[in-house]
Amino acid sequence: MSKLLEITQEQNVPIARILVQEANLSHAGQLKDELIAALDRYGNSVLVDFGGVNYVDSSFLGALVSSLKYAVSKKLDIAVLNPNKDISDLFALIRLDKVFKIYLDKEEALTKYRK
Amino acid sequence: MAHSYKILLVDDNPLVLEMMGRALVKEGFTCYKATSAAEAILLLKKETPDIILSDYEMPDVNGFEFRQQLIADTEYKNIPFMFLTSKNNTELMIEGMNMDAIDYIIKDVPLPVIVSKISNVLGTIREQHQRSISELSKAAVALHLNSIPQQTPQIAGYDINFWHKPFQDYPGGDFIDFIVIDERFTIIVLGDVMGKKWGAWFFSFGFLSYIRAAVRLCIFDGDVSTKSIMQKINRVIYEDPLVSEVLSTLSLLMLDLEQSTVSYTGAGDLPLLYYNKVHDETRRVTSGGLLLGLREDGDFDENIITLNPGDQLMLITDGMTDTEEKGRKRSDYQLFENAVVPYLGTPDTFTRFKESDFIHEKTTAHVDDCSLIFLQKQA
Repeated sequence: MSKLLEITQEQNVPIARILVQEANLSHAGQLKDELIAALDRYGNSVLVDFGGVNYVDSSFLGALVSSLKYAVSKKLDIAVLNPNKDISDLFALIRLDKVFKIYLDKEEALTKYRK
Repeated sequence: MAHSYKILLVDDNPLVLEMMGRALVKEGFTCYKATSAAEAILLLKKETPDIILSDYEMPDVNGFEFRQQLIADTEYKNIPFMFLTSKNNTELMIEGMNMDAIDYIIKDVPLPVIVSKISNVLGTIREQHQRSISELSKAAVALHLNSIPQQTPQIAGYDINFWHKPFQDYPGGDFIDFIVIDERFTIIVLGDVMGKKWGAWFFSFGFLSYIRAAVRLCIFDGDVSTKSIMQKINRVIYEDPLVSEVLSTLSLLMLDLEQSTVSYTGAGDLPLLYYNKVHDETRRVTSGGLLLGLREDGDFDENIITLNPGDQLMLITDGMTDTEEKGRKRSDYQLFENAVVPYLGTPDTFTRFKESDFIHEKTTAHVDDCSLIFLQKQA
């Protein structure tokens, strides 16, 4: 199966770019697997780059939240980078903005998470 | 219903692709064409066809190898597959059928015969699929497993209605319940287990049981606060390893007939729409609570809304805010709000909105489970 996330590292912070435009139920399991693998591999918090994503459904968000629970159990974090307006409105509407830190500025996120 | 089917044609001969493609499109099928297995795999990443028709003999990766690649991938292995062959070669056919192919098609057969064969196969698959769903649904009904109520409670002076449409007609993750506690209190429950179809549906029963239990326990203790009920539900779900990995939204409303008020606590849900008759204005009522089971302290609050005659409330799940334009999906609460506001403020709001173009479009082209609950105090 092809990768859902393309992971690069900047200043030791893994940035996981989502490679699909429509992130839905069919990617939910894979998101969780790849995020957990990234958290384990890099031992650092992960920035999930939503820059290329138009739409997320609730199943995908569920997988993101459940990956966050794993991250927190390892004393790490998952933050959201570059969501479009619809997606960031959705995060705010269902209070996921209280759960995830959301960054529109990559440098700001890197400053927060680099070790 | 040939027009709803999507076919992926794979053949290294562009002429065959063109001719068969044209014949199938003429019959109302949607056709994706690939001249190699590699091209087909690229297409499959974007589209999920109802069936794949692939040539045996192709350079680089032949039809067998392509089939093997698909079988190895959980995402693709269940897409019905048929081989296309130019020869009537029994050995090849048997080998193909051993690879879970449904059938083979000989390319020399006249096109109308090929088209009707494909239609028949797809029709049979659909029929079997419907039959399985209906069997499962029957079993669920026999076990009294309903995540959507059969009827709404009759409460003097109020109208309560709901509209629900499951995703692709599968039972899904949305759940609704009305619990009439006594002559004074009625609880309204709307939730959405994250996920679609069966997985979400099964979990919705677990959530509903917890919710019903928490409601009763709080009432027995004389604690009639939606915030307390929500905290109890959240606590149990947070501690239960079986459901704590499954996330759910919940809107919890308690109608108090004595006070003419509604208490509202939400968990990761969308805002309620509240229509005030006296001022003829609509506003969103938002809650601060997080998704159920996400944190031990879910940050819940409680809003008390006084209902005067003619006032209306609407609760929805996220399927109502999802739309698809030119193949691009998006979520926009404002779109829903814009659609519903013109209907608010009359005694027949619910009936008229249910007949609206917006709801009609949700019925035909929706992208998720859709639910709406409507409450009004009669004028």
